[in-house]
Amino acid sequence: MDIKFDRIASVLFLAIGVLFIIGSRNLASTSYGSSVGPDIFPSILGALLVLLSIRLFYETFVTRGHQGEREKLQCKPFLIIFLATLFYILTLETVGYVITTFIFLFVCFQTMERTNWVKSLIISACFSGIVYFLYVQLLKGTLAGWPIWF
Amino acid sequence: MDTLDYLFQGFGTALIWYNLVFAFVGVLIGTAVGVLPGIGPMSGVALLIPVTASITGGLPPEQAATSAIILLAGVYYGAMYGGSTTSILLNTPGESSSVVTTLDGYQMAKKGRAGSALSIAAIGSFVAGIVTLIALIALAKPLSAVALKFGPAEYFSLMLLGLGAVSGLAGKSVTKALIMTICGLLLGTIGIDSVSGIARFTFDVPWLFQGIEFLTIAVGLFALGEVFKTILEKEEEEVHVAKINNLLPSKDEFKESAGPIARGSILGFFVGILPGAGATLASFFSYILEKKISKNPSKFGTGSIAGVAAPESANNAASGGAMIPLLTLGIPGSGTTAILMGALMMYNVQPGPLLFEDHPQVAWGLIASMFIGNIMLLILNLPLVKVFAKIIQTPKQFLIPIIIAISIFGVYAVQVSTYDLLLLLGCGILGYFLSKHDYPIAPIVLGLVLGPMVENNLRRALTISNGDFSVFLTRPISLAFLLITLLWLIIPFLMKRRGKEVIINVEG
Repeated sequence: MDIKFDRIASVLFLAIGVLFIIGSRNLASTSYGSSVGPDIFPSILGALLVLLSIRLFYETFVTRGHQGEREKLQCKPFLIIFLATLFYILTLETVGYVITTFIFLFVCFQTMERTNWVKSLIISACFSGIVYFLYVQLLKGTLAGWPIWF
Repeated sequence: MDTLDYLFQGFGTALIWYNLVFAFVGVLIGTAVGVLPGIGPMSGVALLIPVTASITGGLPPEQAATSAIILLAGVYYGAMYGGSTTSILLNTPGESSSVVTTLDGYQMAKKGRAGSALSIAAIGSFVAGIVTLIALIALAKPLSAVALKFGPAEYFSLMLLGLGAVSGLAGKSVTKALIMTICGLLLGTIGIDSVSGIARFTFDVPWLFQGIEFLTIAVGLFALGEVFKTILEKEEEEVHVAKINNLLPSKDEFKESAGPIARGSILGFFVGILPGAGATLASFFSYILEKKISKNPSKFGTGSIAGVAAPESANNAASGGAMIPLLTLGIPGSGTTAILMGALMMYNVQPGPLLFEDHPQVAWGLIASMFIGNIMLLILNLPLVKVFAKIIQTPKQFLIPIIIAISIFGVYAVQVSTYDLLLLLGCGILGYFLSKHDYPIAPIVLGLVLGPMVENNLRRALTISNGDFSVFLTRPISLAFLLITLLWLIIPFLMKRRGKEVIINVEG
């Protein structure tokens, strides 16, 4: 258990709880003739979350943290794949499914392991092509297939 | 009409050719999901929801719901079969519910008895599947008849019980599990309030008006979270698959495992019904039980066939038992059943006591297809075990990026919005960090799915009582549910205080 993470998390949860309580205060009570409005459930939950996060904060002091050995994280491939995914998501609608998926898969395959050039090319081409064909041609789904300027 | 007529009708539905195909594809993918370490039943089912939604798009709504749920349930119980394969052959459980199987299963494989271990596991799972189905059929009607008498106050308390039970058993810290549950419930309040029609917590962002889609959250937290974990904590492991020879167990082995299978099935079924206690707990309990009543307990851990038969039957029985509260009461008892419930609700089919009256086709079709699916699994698993064992060797280089691509395609196909994809990616990161720091993620999804129903019942009950909260305490059934919830949360806490080890349910 990482005490630091828990402490930060408990403060964040506290903030979320408080924000939800404030947010539900601002909701207009629109149910006529009843005291039970749309604000009641979120404000109860917000209050519970505040209580629980205080409890979590307290727990971080009581339990002694056993600082585990830091395992080595593969940050570089993760960052590349994360950025590739982000880029993929943002360009999906303009550049179209087939091209973006092909590039995304190829980049990720090569990031995971820098071998099998040909195999990576073939698999990424097949995946993007087959999914597009099955979904758009056969099932008549909505998917931007090709660049919008095409 | 009585139950048998309905069941026959259900078989009529399940035997339509495309439903047979759906059941087959479901159990096939389920077995693969169970075999592949890294994808559990939860992320498997979540990933397949959008895919099935687009395949069944051409069918009328009720039939589409039936076919989709047949496939998704197939993935769920298929995964329970598949999980045993890796435990026995590789000593790495494919999912958490077959952790216990490694104890004796791998030892048997080492001694060259992998074949009989695998087939006993498959036969045990099959028997357990059939036993739970019969129990499900017998219990479904009476239970939903009882549940129909519940008012909003009782329902609210019952749902609290479900949420509390899952949180109490979900992770190392009850506080963290409860925080996750509340976060899920809060996420469920975002969007347009269904009673009063005003927008809550949307900040005038049009995308938020329809609420946060549970599918995006589930796929992000489970599938992407798991994928990010595999990328970040890459470990090179030697994959050494044990050889499989002579598949059929000997007569002695059959005799030895008949008792454990029977006991495992019944125990697993009852553990499965309890909310919060799922397949993992069931397999632990049945292993412990077998060890206790065995004549020579020292044999366990050295390759005893009872140590494979009991937990494997129990985890399959539990997955069937977990369907009972889902179908009859509309209360999912675990992360995977919560996802199944979300899938049903996407098709506008509300699980609960009215399910058997409003949508008999869906309910009985599902039950009948589980019969057929179990038979398919038995036939598939015995001769094809070697093929499935090969799946383990799928290189991660290709598997991981393809899972990301499927998640993105799936969410986009259902939601058609880039914002949902960004939320998906965010949830992936969140899922990784949360589960790394022991924050269980199943309760979030459970809260998100149950949230609107909890709120509606709460408000209905309070409206009837004119805002008086004591209504939950004065109605006896409701009071009983609330007391059980309280006990469920307090007892593990007290036991921990006394320094006892509490077995927790890890599902992932």
